[in-house]
Amino acid sequence: MGANKLTHVAGTAALLIALVILPGHLKYHHQDFIIFLTINVLVVVSYRLMTLTGEWSLIHIVMMGVGAYTSALLSKNLGVSVWLSIPLAGVSAGAVAALLSFPLFRMTQFYFLIGSFAVGEAIRLAWVYFVYPFGGSSGINTIPSPELFTIDFMEPIPYFYLVLAVVTLCLLILHRIENSRIGLTLHAVHWKSPLAESVGVNAWKYRTLAFIIASIFVGVAGALKVHYLGNVTPHQFGVGTMVFVLIWVIVGGYNTFYGPILGAIVLSILDEAFRAFEAIRPAIYGVLLIAAIMFMPRGLESVPGWFRERLFRKTAE
Amino acid sequence: MTKTPTSVFRQRFSRRRFLGTTLAGMGAALTTGLPKVGLADAKTVRLGMNIPMTGDYAPWGLPGLYGCEIVAANINAAGGVKIGNDTYMIEMASYDHGYDTEKSVQGFKKLVLEDDVKMVMMLGGSTVASIIPWAMRKKMLTTTLLPSDITPDTEYLVATCESHPLYNVTGVEWLADKFPEAKTAAIITTNDIEYGKQSAATYNAAFEVAGIDVVDVNFHGFDVADFAPIVSSLLSKKPDVFCMATDVYTTPIIEQLFHQGFKGKIVSCTCDGYLDVIAKTSKEFVEGLTFQFPDFDDPALTPDKADFPDPAGFDAAFNKDHAGEWSAVAWEYPSILLNWIEAAQAAGSIEPEPVLSAMKANSSPAHTFGPGKWWGADLWGLDNAVVGNWPVVAINDGKARIQEYRSVYDWLQNNAGVLKKHMQALDLRTV
Repeated sequence: MGANKLTHVAGTAALLIALVILPGHLKYHHQDFIIFLTINVLVVVSYRLMTLTGEWSLIHIVMMGVGAYTSALLSKNLGVSVWLSIPLAGVSAGAVAALLSFPLFRMTQFYFLIGSFAVGEAIRLAWVYFVYPFGGSSGINTIPSPELFTIDFMEPIPYFYLVLAVVTLCLLILHRIENSRIGLTLHAVHWKSPLAESVGVNAWKYRTLAFIIASIFVGVAGALKVHYLGNVTPHQFGVGTMVFVLIWVIVGGYNTFYGPILGAIVLSILDEAFRAFEAIRPAIYGVLLIAAIMFMPRGLESVPGWFRERLFRKTAE
Repeated sequence: MTKTPTSVFRQRFSRRRFLGTTLAGMGAALTTGLPKVGLADAKTVRLGMNIPMTGDYAPWGLPGLYGCEIVAANINAAGGVKIGNDTYMIEMASYDHGYDTEKSVQGFKKLVLEDDVKMVMMLGGSTVASIIPWAMRKKMLTTTLLPSDITPDTEYLVATCESHPLYNVTGVEWLADKFPEAKTAAIITTNDIEYGKQSAATYNAAFEVAGIDVVDVNFHGFDVADFAPIVSSLLSKKPDVFCMATDVYTTPIIEQLFHQGFKGKIVSCTCDGYLDVIAKTSKEFVEGLTFQFPDFDDPALTPDKADFPDPAGFDAAFNKDHAGEWSAVAWEYPSILLNWIEAAQAAGSIEPEPVLSAMKANSSPAHTFGPGKWWGADLWGLDNAVVGNWPVVAINDGKARIQEYRSVYDWLQNNAGVLKKHMQALDLRTV
């Protein structure tokens, strides 16, 4: 194992240990905050996998909703165990993505972005329109929590550990995918699409694959969310929420695996930190966002490199 | 003789008596130049508001916090409230959930576990649904403005003030009495369940009971940019009454009615921005527009009709500090705060369970527009909503004025079956 890799493994292990210790030292409502934040980390990282092919969509958060509704309906209406309904949520979101890829990937770039928005809204409005089985605009309530021995998953700390375990596993898989031949091909489809196609790479197939994989993981994220909240509504998966995902990814940076994670964590914490300012909080958030884009055009992911560069320069001098 | 909770209420507290005490206390403090009465011995009780203060739903949250702060400041200036053997200052603790379910859960837990509030006031809908499992488990007294949030399992969730949209029946009943020539109505509303469809079902029932045929109902989304075709379509059915079951788009819809030359009666659930409407149409056009929410400087809010301390003074204080931000919730949350004080005094405790017990034990709980009754089991499975009288408001010479008070409770006693039928027709949850 090289020194660089060893540093990464040690760093990740230290972060995980810190996360295991963290919740016991937080205020009650911050325990909930880190549950949703951890779920949002999976949302942004799975979204980034999609963007590796160069396609940015506005349907990602709706695919999260597909997973959320699937798990809610299976566990509440059909009595399926939550432990089974969570992975099935991923399967369901992946299956819907596979179906949608036929019309959607007839478009690329800006047209794909708009097309994904239109299809996403159609799905979301179907949840509003069909009161049975989706519950209409008020959605589905009293969705069960997972059950395991005597562990009370309605309490934040046990649920956080569950979320942490599932999200960590998902991130490991996503990291492996990105660094596998598939991941390299996704990059090739983005940056050198004609060249890749000239050597036999089916760009359509790889774009579809990225969309399906991203949807599977965001579907799991949706299921994790609803089994803690206990309810699911179409409102949770609107374009406003999708804009937040885009902001997290763009401000965090999307060239590295950790960029979107940084974006989600830093911006969510800032948003929470300015809570005392009540009504003017969105304005403060907006100003910070503009400043971040102006002064860090490559995203927060460029900050460690900037520090490293300055440190090395100083050492060399 | 054993004192019943009701008799205790009557002895210890009435809002009018409370008003007298408050003003006397304030007067004493001012004239003697003494510090606030009893402050040295007073404890503090915190009451929570987990409401939207930013985003699209902010008008249904933030004015309520302002209103509660005014009422709490008046109470504290008068020396606080005596509950049991202690005197308490009222402190409001708030959390802005922005009508987001995640934030609602966080906010609720922050208020209960960190701020130690004894009651949490909420707007309703999905933000209430997301906190219900935890709130009921922790037996936390929670209030909503949407009684449709109540289920047989939500023992600790009460709707003690606004019973959206049940009060709408009074406006239709009044209109049918005053304008018997009105025979047909068209309804427009948003297509959401919490506000729009509940309201449409209630209006459908009220029109049926009043003998007015509903000729068309339009459920539109929240993304309508142009109401001209929708209004044209509804007016093509030649309704005598045009009914707006929800208020979100009141102004552009009335503008369309004005431009398309509608001559009939207009009924709306709310019309908080009626001055804007007048500015965009004309005073003559909106003359007689009927809705359900009064301004609080209305002379008809007399002590025998309104159980709210000094409505006009409250209205003036609100508009002095928060001009242009008035909405119905400005007085609704304070009214719930007063309900809580009344129940806490009867219980002799600030803890949620005894306060709820005292609330429910009172068969004639105070309601903003006179005594109410616990109701809701017929529709939602639990009698946890207070319904009583509600004012019918109409615009007269450019000003909203109460025309009459009518009983929502009496209407429901006679017509709950009709309401249930229309709710079920729109796939709304009933027992």
